[in-house]
Amino acid sequence: MATTSTTTPAVSEGAGRDLWPHRCLLGLEGLEADALRTVLQTARGFAEVSTRSVKKVPSLRGKVVANLFFEESTRTRLSFTLAAQRLSADVIDLSGSGSSVAKGETVVDTALNVEAMGVDAMVVRHKASGAPHRISEHVRCAVVNAGDGKHEHPTQGLLDIYTLARAHGRLETFDLSGLRVAVVGDIVSSRVARSNIFGLLALGASVVCVGPPTLAPRSLEALGCTVEHDFDRLIDGGGLSAVNMLRIQFERHSGEGGGAAGGVGVGGGGAGAVGANTTGNKAGSSSPAFPSIREYAQCYGLTAERASRLPVGAVVMHPGPMNRGVEIADDVADGPRSVILEQVANGLAVRMAVLFLCVAAAEC
Amino acid sequence: MPDAQTAHHAPRSLLIRAARAIDPATGTDRISDIAVRDGLIESVSPASASKTAPSGFDRVINAEGLICSPGLIDPHVHLREPGGEDAETIETGTAAAVAGGFTAVCCMPNTSPAIDDDAMVEFVYTRTEQTAHCRVYPVGAATRGRKGDELAELALMARAGAVGFSDDGDCLASPALMLRALTYIQPTGLAFMQHCQEPSLTRGSAMHAGSVAARLGLGGWPRLAEELIVERDIRLLKAVAGGGKGEAPPGYHVQHLSCAGSVDLIRKARAAGLPVSAEASPHHLTLTHECVERAEPAVAEALGQAAQAGTAPASAGPRYWTLAKMNPPLRERSDVRAILEGVADGTITILATDHAPHTPERKHVEFEHAAFGITGLETALALYIKSLIEPGVIDWPRLIELLTINPARLCRLDRPTLAAMSEPKPIPGTSAWAATPQPLKHGLGTLAPSAWADLTLIDPNLEWTVDAATHASRSRNTPYHGVRLTGRAIGTLVGGVFRYRHDSLEGR
Repeated sequence: MATTSTTTPAVSEGAGRDLWPHRCLLGLEGLEADALRTVLQTARGFAEVSTRSVKKVPSLRGKVVANLFFEESTRTRLSFTLAAQRLSADVIDLSGSGSSVAKGETVVDTALNVEAMGVDAMVVRHKASGAPHRISEHVRCAVVNAGDGKHEHPTQGLLDIYTLARAHGRLETFDLSGLRVAVVGDIVSSRVARSNIFGLLALGASVVCVGPPTLAPRSLEALGCTVEHDFDRLIDGGGLSAVNMLRIQFERHSGEGGGAAGGVGVGGGGAGAVGANTTGNKAGSSSPAFPSIREYAQCYGLTAERASRLPVGAVVMHPGPMNRGVEIADDVADGPRSVILEQVANGLAVRMAVLFLCVAAAEC
Repeated sequence: MPDAQTAHHAPRSLLIRAARAIDPATGTDRISDIAVRDGLIESVSPASASKTAPSGFDRVINAEGLICSPGLIDPHVHLREPGGEDAETIETGTAAAVAGGFTAVCCMPNTSPAIDDDAMVEFVYTRTEQTAHCRVYPVGAATRGRKGDELAELALMARAGAVGFSDDGDCLASPALMLRALTYIQPTGLAFMQHCQEPSLTRGSAMHAGSVAARLGLGGWPRLAEELIVERDIRLLKAVAGGGKGEAPPGYHVQHLSCAGSVDLIRKARAAGLPVSAEASPHHLTLTHECVERAEPAVAEALGQAAQAGTAPASAGPRYWTLAKMNPPLRERSDVRAILEGVADGTITILATDHAPHTPERKHVEFEHAAFGITGLETALALYIKSLIEPGVIDWPRLIELLTINPARLCRLDRPTLAAMSEPKPIPGTSAWAATPQPLKHGLGTLAPSAWADLTLIDPNLEWTVDAATHASRSRNTPYHGVRLTGRAIGTLVGGVFRYRHDSLEGR
């Protein structure tokens, strides 16, 4: 353990493999608490790496990680790139535009071509829910979902959980019993929300989704969380350990078909409730799902006044990018309860752990 | 200390003796003494047999032969302010309301600009406090500018005191937007009030699609245009209701229904347990499309009266009578019968005037170009008596229920918080005692002790003739001018203060 170049703290060889048999991380749904804790404990070990002067371990030396970002991303791509580099892997990049994708190739063909070049892991982001799942059925290398449509964003869920556990002193066990997390805002369009709900529930926390019924329909309760439409009543009810403020995904409300809610849409008609009608709305600045940003911010924005009514110790999270003044006020985003930048830092350790464990499992 | 004049109109304490007190909310129907003090109901007790005047009241009214009802509530009126002040204002519209026995009205948002945000809701409450003779509660527009393409600021309007949502005057036609609206308003607890009219089926329509329209060469307005929306909305409501466990779907209310098929659809939806309600309007309870052709004689005939002499020469041909132009249109006798049946069997639980004042220049034009609608507040009660009580369709307690606690529940005015938002213009000398107690213990629509003393004294046997020239409304567009009716409000109290007194109340 004397040198930094030969060992990986907290991740002894093979230790996690029994508990992490998965070649791919496509979502947090269905993962056992033990598997989640393996990733989180592994991440806890890797977190230390970022504090060293030489921020690198050799765990994936000689391996190749391919970023397949069919949908644009800045921070997630940077985070995965840096995570792979800290594990000493080589990183190649493919983005949606300017590639074969633009020439009409299917995602599976693109993935098979990349794999044929000798790739050990693929990090896939796609605007269509389920795209990484299709790829994973056809390739043999590790596949990590970096966000698929309105479905899941499992590494974001894990880093949110890691941050919550750290804030509440649960790093030893990652047992979240007794913690209560409010996920606020655009739940139906959010892959972050789904990964949070699945992961938090598996680890013993309770989750309440908050938003107008068009963004937080009662049908979400099928996922095991509760749903509340009155943010103030929820805050005054007490007991919140964290609030996770989601951005309004205007780009997902307009322009595309009614696929917003997937299987948990409003009523028998399913998905169409929030989706398609774009009449009269300016793309990017308003949503058909609620009347105005002004009304949304007054009802669901985390203002300093609302934040002041949260219990002592409750933290404020945001997966970014933030719309300051809409879902979160400036002084709250930068305030003492905010752990938003800590989330970003923890994301690196979590992604190192996921890449490490999935590549290791793929080799078995 | 109030002077003598104030004490007469606004007695600090008042005893209404030996009235038939009817309060469906508390199941009351008996000859009672109603004590009012400081703007609130103090007690409703069996009438004292004593002939001596009781002491301890500023004023005692002998109400023998009168009905004392909770103040009547009309959940559907057009007060035209802002933007249409030449036809009506909150002041004149509420003067008409109290003359008709109404102590609270809900005004529709099709003003100019529309009542589609919280500032406009507050404007209505402010103007009410400055000018109104009774309580006024605004219904907020469902879509921005009532254009039907994006939701209005529904949650903020609800916070500001809107009592329901509607694009009345227009139908919310887009099924996607309607589903979204029904979903979005759930947390407000308020109802959606739909003006059921599929617009693509009524382009160029001026009257009911039937034999009269065919003869007169006017664009027909099919029943289907209404029934299709009622049926569709019930399906949308079911979808919202099925969205999750344990959450009630919002109330869905059909405004001014006009045809038999709609009554059937609502009857079935209610039987299936959906929170669907519907209102009927005086003109749809009494008149048919024949009035467009034959005018006053057809009105008189519909009311079972001989036509007045000299109204219209028999040879004059069709009248194209714009006072019979309504939206939705007057339909056929079979529709009127179906609506009466709907009232009788409990399918229709609310009566609403759709009071729609218009200036003469908007009615004195070609039929196709004329505005839709008629005034209603000052003739409604007598027309309800004529169409519902006289033929025995329903009895008095049921009529009072349809005019008080049912509309109160529709608009959540049975809740003290919302009820307390509206107070009419103060009467000098009463401010010291007539202030709203905080918190108010009861909402509107009941005679429960400590509720506001919003009361309507009805003389069920008083005969009178409708004279549009004497109407308090700023507009005169009523097809009932000259008709003889029986029964009317002769005293209307809002918060214990007389806001309307008929001559016949003097000396009692």
